Amino acid sequence: MPVILFLCLISTAAHAGLTIVGKGDNMRFDPSAFPPAMKASYEIMKVRCIKCHTLERTVVAITTGIAPISGQPFDRKATRAYGIKMLRKPDSNMNKQEVKTVVELMNFLLDQAAR
Amino acid sequence: MQFAFFRRKCMQNGVVAVMALLIAVALPLAHAQNALAIPAFSRQYRTECSTCHTLYPELNEYGQVFLKNGYVYANKHAGEKGGEAPVPSGKPGQGQTQTASDEQVAGLMLSGIPKWIPLSLTLNQSANYSDPAPNGDHWGFTTRDLVLEGGGVISDVVGFYATYDLYRHDSSISQGGPSSLHELFLIWRRFFGTPVNIKVGKFEPKLSLWKKSDKIIVTSFATSSFQEGNSPFSLETAQDAVEANAVVANRIFMATGVVDRHGLPGVDAYGHLSVKFGGVDFLGNEPEVDFEKESIWDYLAMTLAVYGYNGRNIDPFGSGISNSFYRIGGEFDILYKRARVKFSCVSGEDSNPYYIFPETAGNPLVFASEAEYYFGSPVKVVGLFRYEYQNDGTALVRRFIPALAYIPLENIKVAFSYIHEVQPLDINRQLLLDVSLSF
Repeated sequence: MPVILFLCLISTAAHAGLTIVGKGDNMRFDPSAFPPAMKASYEIMKVRCIKCHTLERTVVAITTGIAPISGQPFDRKATRAYGIKMLRKPDSNMNKQEVKTVVELMNFLLDQAAR
Repeated sequence: MQFAFFRRKCMQNGVVAVMALLIAVALPLAHAQNALAIPAFSRQYRTECSTCHTLYPELNEYGQVFLKNGYVYANKHAGEKGGEAPVPSGKPGQGQTQTASDEQVAGLMLSGIPKWIPLSLTLNQSANYSDPAPNGDHWGFTTRDLVLEGGGVISDVVGFYATYDLYRHDSSISQGGPSSLHELFLIWRRFFGTPVNIKVGKFEPKLSLWKKSDKIIVTSFATSSFQEGNSPFSLETAQDAVEANAVVANRIFMATGVVDRHGLPGVDAYGHLSVKFGGVDFLGNEPEVDFEKESIWDYLAMTLAVYGYNGRNIDPFGSGISNSFYRIGGEFDILYKRARVKFSCVSGEDSNPYYIFPETAGNPLVFASEAEYYFGSPVKVVGLFRYEYQNDGTALVRRFIPALAYIPLENIKVAFSYIHEVQPLDINRQLLLDVSLSF
């Protein structure tokens, strides 16, 4: 019983194949169960994306399927569009390879969330 | 004599005190890494200033899209839910979004009442050094203003925007300027299901590509701010008007409207047409980009615009004499990665801009160009150079304006600019330091 209670206290939000840790601005994915390639991609996402916004925005978009600001569906078409948007954003400092990597990661995360 | 000496001493001390204060405010902020600005739109959509601005208040491509679509993010149509950050609650694609306090705010949402009071404040303080200066009074740091802004959208159907000068003091005018409403208008988005937005109220008629506020430094483009003779008309003056505008075929923006003449029969009329090549279209759709190949069109965006205004106004000094005028202008805005070039040209004719007999016509020709480069993080600085040519038919004025602007936080800006103005008989030099804060 104490173990269950303890687990409840430290529980994280789980969305099918995804584990989310933290709340609010600190919300992020737990990459421990990601394949190695996606873990590497997540390292890029962690560094690049938080330059302008918290990972909460990405977590919300992936897990709800709705982009938080525009209210539009967040699907594979949207991940590509957002990738292009970030590529063109002057301060993102992302090159095409990095954008491609992060788009693939977001598609992977969408698939995991849908499981 | 003693009083004059005392006053001069106080002024010198005042300069030192203000400069020290500005440096004291700016320095601790120089190391700030990340911050979310919170003026009205930012608050409503829970997003950072850089979503819509390069260095506020200059708009980036997405800010232009937001503006052209009646303060709603791209591709949204009236009635679609959005603009509230959802919290995770289900699987993607199922649309199972719920805001953190859905139950409490359900009534508000049904009524179309925003969850947050859609207001923000902007404070501006300037310090300047002018040469030559009347009475040798070179220094001035009394120019400041406090602006109340309101803006938002109700159920994605009606957008609204207002700016009100709570306090404005320009050192060139008397102490304590009047409070005034600068803009107040409503936008009926997607009028009866059409792509047309109807705008009514007091606002800047859509002529130039850039609104008065859409710039990095305080000084307006000469093409937007110049006035011919004694005529009060300028492109950036807010007027009582009704406007219809629409995005057509994703990359064409059209606007047309009429303006109340106040005391004269009839109305002024105007029109604007702009076309965008490359970059995000006017509905916010990203361009096609091949991640495997580089192309200049991946980063290049060009917007071209033409506009015209036909009007008539009356002597502001009460002689009853009127002046008929028109303006025709062309502009372009080119963006490539961190570099941006703006060009604006306007010409026209005034039948009697000095409101005198015999009538003396004016044929103004003004153009301005500006090159900007955004250095970006870790030091968020924009360097720019502007050149202006202003010929009102009686005198030619040229201005050379280099400037640097820096944002230690997204909602705080410090801008230094130098204005070198060459007039027919004189050269005016002005050094400006502007600090603004918006929240």
